[in-house]
Amino acid sequence: MSQNKYLPPLVCGFGAAVLTIVPGIKSFSCCMIVPLAGVLSIYLDHKINKTSLPVGIKSAIWFGFITGIFATLFATSLDVLLTYLAHTNDFVQALPQTEAVVRHYKLNAMLDQTMSMLKQMSNDITINGFSAFYTAGILFSNFIINTIFGILGGILGMTFINKRTKVQN
Amino acid sequence: MEAVQGNTSFNKNKRLLLNLIAGFISRKRAIRIFLFLSLVLWCIGFSFNSLFSGTVAAGITYPFLKKIFHMVCHQLDEKTFNINGAKLFVCARCTGIYLGALASSIASLFYIKRFSLRLKLLYISMVPMLIDVAATTFKIYDYSKMLAFTTGLFFGSVVFIYILIAIENNFMDDSY
Repeated sequence: MSQNKYLPPLVCGFGAAVLTIVPGIKSFSCCMIVPLAGVLSIYLDHKINKTSLPVGIKSAIWFGFITGIFATLFATSLDVLLTYLAHTNDFVQALPQTEAVVRHYKLNAMLDQTMSMLKQMSNDITINGFSAFYTAGILFSNFIINTIFGILGGILGMTFINKRTKVQN
Repeated sequence: MEAVQGNTSFNKNKRLLLNLIAGFISRKRAIRIFLFLSLVLWCIGFSFNSLFSGTVAAGITYPFLKKIFHMVCHQLDEKTFNINGAKLFVCARCTGIYLGALASSIASLFYIKRFSLRLKLLYISMVPMLIDVAATTFKIYDYSKMLAFTTGLFFGSVVFIYILIAIENNFMDDSY
């Protein structure tokens, strides 16, 4: 596989990660960012290679997956960097509200355990600007969500390109 | 020698079992069932807090599910449905998209013929949603949860069919 093959997923993954971090954009694009990155990634690859051949599903899944991986890596890195610089993030800010909701369930011992874990993460972020547990958590959830949505985007992109190719031929 | 014979017998049984399952479920139907189950799981995930409101499971999973679904949705309170005394983890538009996809996946289990759609329908399904997003962003009219939900529902139900077509056309067997 040539290096060029990684370029569109890298660029689109980075773009998706940046857009995920920007709060204003997220409020109206929601879950569309990563799938669109997947679509764009496969479309750019098709343009770079100047091929008129239809895209196969393996290739579409691969592109979507790689875009998701790059989006995960960049989004997690940017989140960690911003958290380190600001010593706070949306998780820390939303913790009192989360605690209020969780306390509503009257879980007693379980609540204490859950809350102490969350508070430990929040304290680490406030004091050191970094929490290993929080980072591992967002890396894992970013990986799962972004790769799934990236693959869906790749498959949609494949449909789009193959329909266009069919029309042109 | 006995181990080899045991292994061969195991492989034979495995093949028999797989053939038996394949007799009931073709590859196409298996894909549709898989997509349906995945969507059911996803929908249970974002509505877990509402479905199991007041239970220990909902309390423990709340912070983690909220964080996970925050990856795919802004979760603004004023744009989220409140069901059974608890907020969903995704906004009204995302709820519509996922429920639309789920509705299409249920329909796909019963309508077993191969779907064929023009790309134009995908663009058309996006239009109401994009108009609604633009209109609420530029304050042409106020945000309405029901409108966001409805436009999302339409888009979600159509986009699922495109994904299904793409998968089926590539993992196709004509044993239907």
